[in-house]
Amino acid sequence: MRTKNIVTALVLIVLGTGYGFLTAGLPTRSLPNAPDPSFFPWVITGCLLLLSAILLVRGLAAPRKGRSDTVVAPPLRTPIVFLVVFALYVAFLSFAGFVAASVPFFAVLMVLYGERRWIAIGAASLVVPVILVLVFRYVLQVPLPEGVLSGWIG
Amino acid sequence: MSPDIAAGFIAATLPGSLLATAIGVVVGLVVGMIPGVTVSTGIIMVLPLTFALDPTISIALLLGIYAGGMTGGSFSAVLLNIPGTPSASATILDGYPMARKGEAGRAISVAIVASFAGGFFSFLCLYFIAPSLADLALRFKAPDLFSVVFFGLSVICTFAARSPVKGLLSAVIGLAIVTVGQDPVMGTARFTFGNAELLSGIHFLSALIGLFAIPQLVDNMIELARGAVEQRTSTRMGSLFLRLADLKAMGLPVAIGSVVGAFIGILPGAGGPIAAFIGYDYAKRWSRNPDKFGTGCVEGVAAPESANNGVTGGALIPMMTLGIPGDPITAIMIGALLVHGLAPGPLLFMQRGDFAYALIWSFMWANILTLLISLAGVRILVKLLAAPKTLLMPAIAILCVIGSYALRNSFFDVWMMLAFGLLALAMRSIDMPVVPMLLALVLGRQLEEYLRLSLTASKGDPTVFFTSPFSLAFLVLSVVSIVWSFAAERRRGGARSAPAG
Repeated sequence: MRTKNIVTALVLIVLGTGYGFLTAGLPTRSLPNAPDPSFFPWVITGCLLLLSAILLVRGLAAPRKGRSDTVVAPPLRTPIVFLVVFALYVAFLSFAGFVAASVPFFAVLMVLYGERRWIAIGAASLVVPVILVLVFRYVLQVPLPEGVLSGWIG
Repeated sequence: MSPDIAAGFIAATLPGSLLATAIGVVVGLVVGMIPGVTVSTGIIMVLPLTFALDPTISIALLLGIYAGGMTGGSFSAVLLNIPGTPSASATILDGYPMARKGEAGRAISVAIVASFAGGFFSFLCLYFIAPSLADLALRFKAPDLFSVVFFGLSVICTFAARSPVKGLLSAVIGLAIVTVGQDPVMGTARFTFGNAELLSGIHFLSALIGLFAIPQLVDNMIELARGAVEQRTSTRMGSLFLRLADLKAMGLPVAIGSVVGAFIGILPGAGGPIAAFIGYDYAKRWSRNPDKFGTGCVEGVAAPESANNGVTGGALIPMMTLGIPGDPITAIMIGALLVHGLAPGPLLFMQRGDFAYALIWSFMWANILTLLISLAGVRILVKLLAAPKTLLMPAIAILCVIGSYALRNSFFDVWMMLAFGLLALAMRSIDMPVVPMLLALVLGRQLEEYLRLSLTASKGDPTVFFTSPFSLAFLVLSVVSIVWSFAAERRRGGARSAPAG
């Protein structure tokens, strides 16, 4: 955790400095006795840099190889695969529409969650998105993106 | 009885509201019961529904999930030795030993009755305390309100994190995110980079869905991909019947748990797990037979279950009277109400007293219906412990997308949800809690608004925060909570480095 704390602190110091730089560029308003729109961001900049500096100092002061440092690294592959699939779904959703995008997304997620029965995957990935669109669009009147199936089901 | 109380009761007791509460209770019992699916996720699942429903029905649905979820967590704690929700962690200590003795049904009945008692006690606290506190809060001026919000934020930073520095950093990053968009006083565009969608800021509900649902979806995927077998219970339920002796034995632990739960619920950030363990600990200390605890006794199930349900009404008090959410669930409720143009806070009782009381009465119905539905349907409900996550998780993922999209019919909010999910995973890898960030996203604009209004009114004089007794008291409490958390961290560090033995 020592290394992670130092890296986190350094990243936050860079981000805090960037945020402060952007804050300096905010427009000023000359209302009498009223704090500028940049007032609160300056307070945040100060707090962010101060707390990051404390984290950095604590990280540097921590012993190099403590027992608490032996942290098992979390698996990275699954979160990355999940986020990539999710991002592709959202990108596809905007032009393909809800049903057309959700059916393959649902099927892929079922496989990723360990389902191997293809009939179950096929049935669920067709039925669940269609039910959701029917409930939201026609019962609750919540518009969902229609995309390529516009005029059919959504 | 004031007209608002009566109107609220009628609104909460209409068939539509009661049906929504009952549906919420069933959803809550199921999501609370299934390990790996939290009550927050259950609420996120139904969130898009609430945008289209009447606000009274929406809040009845959410309160049903809240009350049902807290009770449902105990079912898997007893039957599987796995808490369905973190709040049910302490229930394992005696619930599972009871199940191993063939008394799973009895343990579950104790949990259901104790949950009802704790929840109903917290309803009484909500009913009697909230209106008076709202009256008091109406007298607050901008500096007082700033200090109250600051207190809520500082307490949650210190409770939610093992390291107070990381808790505070999480909140400060959240505050920085809140500054994106138009500033709340003058409407000046800040950090928008010319993007029109950033002008109205980042909707905190899309952030919240990302922060809470995405890590849970990933966790379940990791677990199932590792080949973890879905939990199925082979434990026999046995009789659900409670004897008079059981009810007598439950009396004191339930009383202790209810009071502890309601009190801890009022404190932002403390939450159900802490209340349950403190309730258990006090019940053990006050028991005539403390040695029975841990071996499978009725008292050891009753105390934590009444405490974690006591938290629910307690957490609704600051939410309704001050607009400060005590936990992620009440934060989502604030978001759901804001979508309907209802801002929780002291003005809610003055401007929409009927709705405020409808919420309180719906909470009462949620507890009563949880008791009835649980007792009547527990044998059927526990069969859902075998519900396939391969189906449930993809459905939750799609509902997350619908929930973020339906906020403003914008894909921008969906992308933001995904970005916050990524941020939550990154924060978790460095042991930084997400709850302070969530609270900062909910409270940040108010914090800035009250700060700037106070300074404008005082012509820039910062002593305005120390001259009002309310403001001064909350600032002192904030400092105490921060200093206490640093001292506690130091003690923990000292304890760890002390030689063993």
